[in-house]
Amino acid sequence: MKRSNFYRIPLFLVCVAVSLIVLVPFAMILVNSFKDARQSALFKLSLPDEFLWSNYKLVLSKPAVIRSFLNTIYIAVFSVLLTDLCAAMAAFVIQRRPTRLGKAAYYTFLMGLVIPISIIPTIRLMMNTGLHNTYRGMILYYTAINLPFAIFLLTGFIGSVPKELDESAMLDGCKPLRLFFRIILPLLSTVMVTSTIVVAIAVWDDFVGPFYLISDYRKWTIVLNIYTFVSQYETNWGVVFAFLMLVMTPILLLYFALQRYIISGLTAGALKG
Amino acid sequence: MTMERRQNYPYWFLLPAFAVFALLYLTPTLTGLYYSFTDWNINKKTIDFVGLENFRSLFSDRKMVAALWHTLIYAFAVTVIRNSVGLGMALVLNVKMRFRNLFRTVFFLPYMISPLIIGYLFTAIYHPANGLLNMGLKGAGLGVFAVDWLNDPRFALFSAIMVDVWRTSGFAMVIYLAGLQMIPGELYESASLDGARFTQTFRHIMFPLIAPSLTINLVLSLIGTMKVFVMILVLTNGGPGYTTEVINTYIMTEFSLGLYGLGTAANLVLTALIVLLGFPVLILLRKREVAL
Repeated sequence: MKRSNFYRIPLFLVCVAVSLIVLVPFAMILVNSFKDARQSALFKLSLPDEFLWSNYKLVLSKPAVIRSFLNTIYIAVFSVLLTDLCAAMAAFVIQRRPTRLGKAAYYTFLMGLVIPISIIPTIRLMMNTGLHNTYRGMILYYTAINLPFAIFLLTGFIGSVPKELDESAMLDGCKPLRLFFRIILPLLSTVMVTSTIVVAIAVWDDFVGPFYLISDYRKWTIVLNIYTFVSQYETNWGVVFAFLMLVMTPILLLYFALQRYIISGLTAGALKG
Repeated sequence: MTMERRQNYPYWFLLPAFAVFALLYLTPTLTGLYYSFTDWNINKKTIDFVGLENFRSLFSDRKMVAALWHTLIYAFAVTVIRNSVGLGMALVLNVKMRFRNLFRTVFFLPYMISPLIIGYLFTAIYHPANGLLNMGLKGAGLGVFAVDWLNDPRFALFSAIMVDVWRTSGFAMVIYLAGLQMIPGELYESASLDGARFTQTFRHIMFPLIAPSLTINLVLSLIGTMKVFVMILVLTNGGPGYTTEVINTYIMTEFSLGLYGLGTAANLVLTALIVLLGFPVLILLRKREVAL
């Protein structure tokens, strides 16, 4: 591989160029979120003459914005807990019992990765069951649409947990629930970090769910709030950019802190199937 | 052993997951199958079976036919470009270099951000007068190419496609890179001892051995892009005219008009499209993996 030394500098420059293509748009949002309406509408990459915090203050002064942040956190936390727990239990039995029933269940869940959810019948169903326009309805909806991915990811991972563990626990008289919660679940912690982040981000970033399933604006999630906010403030890009920054920042922090779980977890999951 | 299994791994562990999935995924999917063949709409008390009537209206609606084509073009174009860029970047990052992990982290980053946010971000970047893209083109003396990206019917769909490429190429790259890094180093060594050029090494060693990455990337990409909605909604809302209309924006319009049966039928068309395109591609690529 000596020859590759020769290519290394140009390849490095390619990487720098691509990084710029990725990062410059984000830099554009950041610098313009500190500018006034007239300046920010020019979308320049230059630093503001003076850093204005007023755009951020304006966004955060809206009770609806704070509320929708809290709504999103609430819905995301419970969706993640429910998805992780249901998926881990199901994946455990699916992986350990490769019977006809186990496989049928697995492929039924995997269908969810392929076939798009039909949103209009979902609205009707949720209205008929009193789930439309409720937090618990949203939590169940997100659990249902994220379960296929979580089960897929976890089933692949549980295969690497030795079966001898189950057997020796069983010889000690361990019951299934205890075996699962005391022995298996702790061993799944790394992959659970992956599924937790992926599901949490999927809920945080989602637009379709609240757009169709929540009509009460007090229950909106943050992304839906951006959508209506932009139609009001479109003339003031500085305020819009400040709002976008506020919604992106938690995701960016989470990503930079835990990116190795996200990237390695996702790739391992994808290549195992 | 079977006795032990039954005690250790009870089927009821499947129940919580299955109950939620059955209620909010399987039920609407199956009832949707039925509603697709009904006249369910906002102006009528009853829902009646009308056979293929909805599909007849869908395929005679120019807007729906356009949406169908745009969905296919979008899916095909994004898949091809995303995978070319992703594979290219994976090959670059497969070379040991400084900051390799940092680059990987940066390239993957857009995938984490909500498509809605990215849509607004690119509305600004594509702005005809002040947007970064046209400013850059003018600055480079390429002012003739500085068009109105989202409002010119000739470029709107292409502009949306490129935003999705920007957002998701890093995801494809990460999967290709993982595939490349599973190739044992000895294979490269023996290839270079035999005097193989890079193109030969790529064709005979790398490309065959990353077959699983190729399969998963192409299939995920085709399935995901056909479901496109938010990106189009924010960037162009199907316009100008209906030059960027896709199936999911069409469904939204039908829903807002109260034509529920018709909207549900359009979703069934999308499902059919995904299944008819996704499965053959999957089977074809899997066969190729085995043959290699």
